[in-house]
Amino acid sequence: MSENKRNLWFFLLPLAIFLVLVVFLLLGLFSNPREHDSAQIEKKLPQFQLSDLMIDGKRWQREDLLGETFLLNVWGTWCVTCDQELPYLTELRNQGVKIVGLYYDQEIDPDFGESMDITALRAEVKDKLARLGNPYQFNILDDTREMLLDLGVTGAPETFLVDKHGVIKVHHLGDINPRVWRSKFARLYSELKAGQ
Amino acid sequence: MIPQLGYLSLTIALGLAVMLAIFPLWGAHRGNIQLMNSAKALALGVFFFTALSLLALTYAFIVNDFTIAYVATHSSSLTPLRYRITAVWGGHEGSFLLWIFIFGLWMAAVAVRSNNIPLIMRSRVLGVMGFVSIGFYLFILLMSNPFETLLPYFPIEGRDLNPLLQDFAMIIHPPLLYMGYVGLSVCFAFAIAALMTGKLDATWAKWSRPWAMAAWMFLTLGIVIGSWWAYYELGWGGWWFWDPVENASLMPWLVTTALIHSFAVTEKRGIFKSWTVLLAIAGFSLSLLGTFLVRSGIVVSVHAFASDPDRGLFILAFLFVVIASSLALYALKASHMRSYVKYTMFSREVFLWGNNIILTVATMVVMLGTFLPMIHKEIGLGSISIGSPFFTEIFSYLLPPFALLLVITPLIRWKQNRFDSVKKPLFIALVLSVIIGLGLLSVGQSFVDNLALMGLILSIWIGISTIQAVLKKKPVQAQGFAALKQLSGSEWAMVLGHLGFAVAIIGMVMTSSYGVEKDVRMRPGQTVNLAGYDFNFVGVKNISVENYTGHAGTVKVSYDGKPVATMVAEKRVYIVQQMPMTEAAVDAGFTRDLFVALGEPFDDGSWALRIYHKPFIRWIWFGGLIIAFGALCAMMDRRYRLRRKTLSQQALAEQTATPQTQEAL
Repeated sequence: MSENKRNLWFFLLPLAIFLVLVVFLLLGLFSNPREHDSAQIEKKLPQFQLSDLMIDGKRWQREDLLGETFLLNVWGTWCVTCDQELPYLTELRNQGVKIVGLYYDQEIDPDFGESMDITALRAEVKDKLARLGNPYQFNILDDTREMLLDLGVTGAPETFLVDKHGVIKVHHLGDINPRVWRSKFARLYSELKAGQ
Repeated sequence: MIPQLGYLSLTIALGLAVMLAIFPLWGAHRGNIQLMNSAKALALGVFFFTALSLLALTYAFIVNDFTIAYVATHSSSLTPLRYRITAVWGGHEGSFLLWIFIFGLWMAAVAVRSNNIPLIMRSRVLGVMGFVSIGFYLFILLMSNPFETLLPYFPIEGRDLNPLLQDFAMIIHPPLLYMGYVGLSVCFAFAIAALMTGKLDATWAKWSRPWAMAAWMFLTLGIVIGSWWAYYELGWGGWWFWDPVENASLMPWLVTTALIHSFAVTEKRGIFKSWTVLLAIAGFSLSLLGTFLVRSGIVVSVHAFASDPDRGLFILAFLFVVIASSLALYALKASHMRSYVKYTMFSREVFLWGNNIILTVATMVVMLGTFLPMIHKEIGLGSISIGSPFFTEIFSYLLPPFALLLVITPLIRWKQNRFDSVKKPLFIALVLSVIIGLGLLSVGQSFVDNLALMGLILSIWIGISTIQAVLKKKPVQAQGFAALKQLSGSEWAMVLGHLGFAVAIIGMVMTSSYGVEKDVRMRPGQTVNLAGYDFNFVGVKNISVENYTGHAGTVKVSYDGKPVATMVAEKRVYIVQQMPMTEAAVDAGFTRDLFVALGEPFDDGSWALRIYHKPFIRWIWFGGLIIAFGALCAMMDRRYRLRRKTLSQQALAEQTATPQTQEAL
């Protein structure tokens, strides 16, 4: 009898493995990537060498961004939520906030050997910014996605608050609206601004 | 109107499925013949109404009925008719309808083609399938209705099918793969039915084995065609990417490969019974798990449908009910099973057991690689990603022992064998394959790569020993090659399956060791050399066809001054979705493929081009086709057909003995 019982435990093993898997699948289903704290806070902006989205031949690197507190906003014309935040970001720009765009092209994945049609993209960007407002001083095009990867970007829109030394102070996932700005950015921004 | 009827048909199919899950099983429990007999009609009814529903959706696509949300998002009036029809399975809702249609097809096949199986077993099998299908029907009706309308405000033009999917392979890849995935449900149902009866014996193995073979054949074909499609359509130039969804199809394939070997042991020797049952359950469970992966959005993949946690939760609950209850039933019943058959360490039984171990380990590895990133994140250890280097490394360790088993097993007998009797042929074959492998590599290639050498030697060794195994058969020894005709379907399946595997391995190791690529910027008229081939870039033309426009670049290839091919690589922009697509040009050959993809133009009139030379890549898919053909041979085995006749006679005899039995033959 005891042997039979031991036997039963042995045959229950597949069921046990499956149940453990189900627990994790369930967790995975409801895990919200936004709950995880960004690993980027208090880290320096990574080094990069990328071209301008709109101007041929213009290159940007890390040093060009330093010296002033600014927002680095990851966006794309394909991204619906980005449309929502463009007007408010434009309002912020009018209040004097420096905003730099990091353009994230979703449809073209460089890992798959694709590259983009820059002329069509520019026309699309111009059209969108004309309609919804242009909050950007300029836009950096991350055509290799390396910068996005270094920054730990998971989607668009995402916004980083970077101080004048190039240290990331806030990493926000999702759109910027008046509520988010007040609760997450405004105080820190004015402190950094005052320290400048 | 027609789409509404499609929805109604699905509701009716659900009703019939519920009846199918209740009556035959109840009948089998109580010994009520009439209830058991209802299984066949009910199964056919479920199939009929699901087919109607699929037709209704197809009709909506053909007539461009954009009041249906699914049609409006997956087709447009510019889409060519053939892709409007394949768009039926181009998205989540429709592909799930195809899935349950194919489930119905298998159910109908079991209902029609299983007269040789006792009524009680058949009604249990169909009842279990009916039970499983309830979950599918509830899911499609409640969570992902393909007939959802956009009325009263509907678009006048649809959004077109994703250009990646506008391809010939889209016509056949999903249906074949689903035939495989869903076909595993038949073995699963047989296993559950057998567990219910408590009779797991050689007869049970004999009944389910052809169904396992059929599903495995379709799964093999589906995977092979998917790999070929990824190679030429996605323009990635590779043939396997260890993408989570590819893994999801590989896991059931590995398990079913183990299953068909384990079936052989159970059928011939009456052992490994509980293991075989577990594999049969695992095969279908893994195919359900694959469905969950693809449709819940839990993993990031090119195959994944839009994520929706509600759908994910539903499928997970369904998975839980089906798999957990099967495994619980398994634990209860299998723990009481015993077999008393003697065999020694050096016997075919033990070697097939080794084969099963390695295939199971391989499945575990793929599973780990697929789920570990997610588990890692949930435990709070942060994000990791497991990619192709991990899998490539582990599989290159698993390959040699697996190949070794493949070499030896066909040569040795059941029960027991002496190593001395196979020592000589094994050794001769090994020496031959080392000589041939080394010779071929040093003549054909510029350097000798270790992985390629190992793969080549093992493959040739498998080839030679498979032929030796055929030559050892009694009729062949007596009559020479004329006797090949007398080999049974199962024997042919073994021969073809193993040879196909060897062919595929040659393709894999040669491509990964000797494939070369070059990214170049070329002006029209320029020539670049790769692996001895001269690629002359002629120029680029504008093209405008049906639903896309774009550029076509022509490259003339020559070898030693002799023209080889004219290749045209395209860059398309699909009008409706404004989505750019790379359509690579492939010059296929027996020993090598040339592959050209057109990149971006530069301001000075030159273009970016990517050029590949891929030796023996076609052998991978060719090997897969041989394997699938082997499975077909096994299904055609005369043994199963003869058996069917004798069993029907038995059944007839039983029927005359008990006149109240109304079994239709």
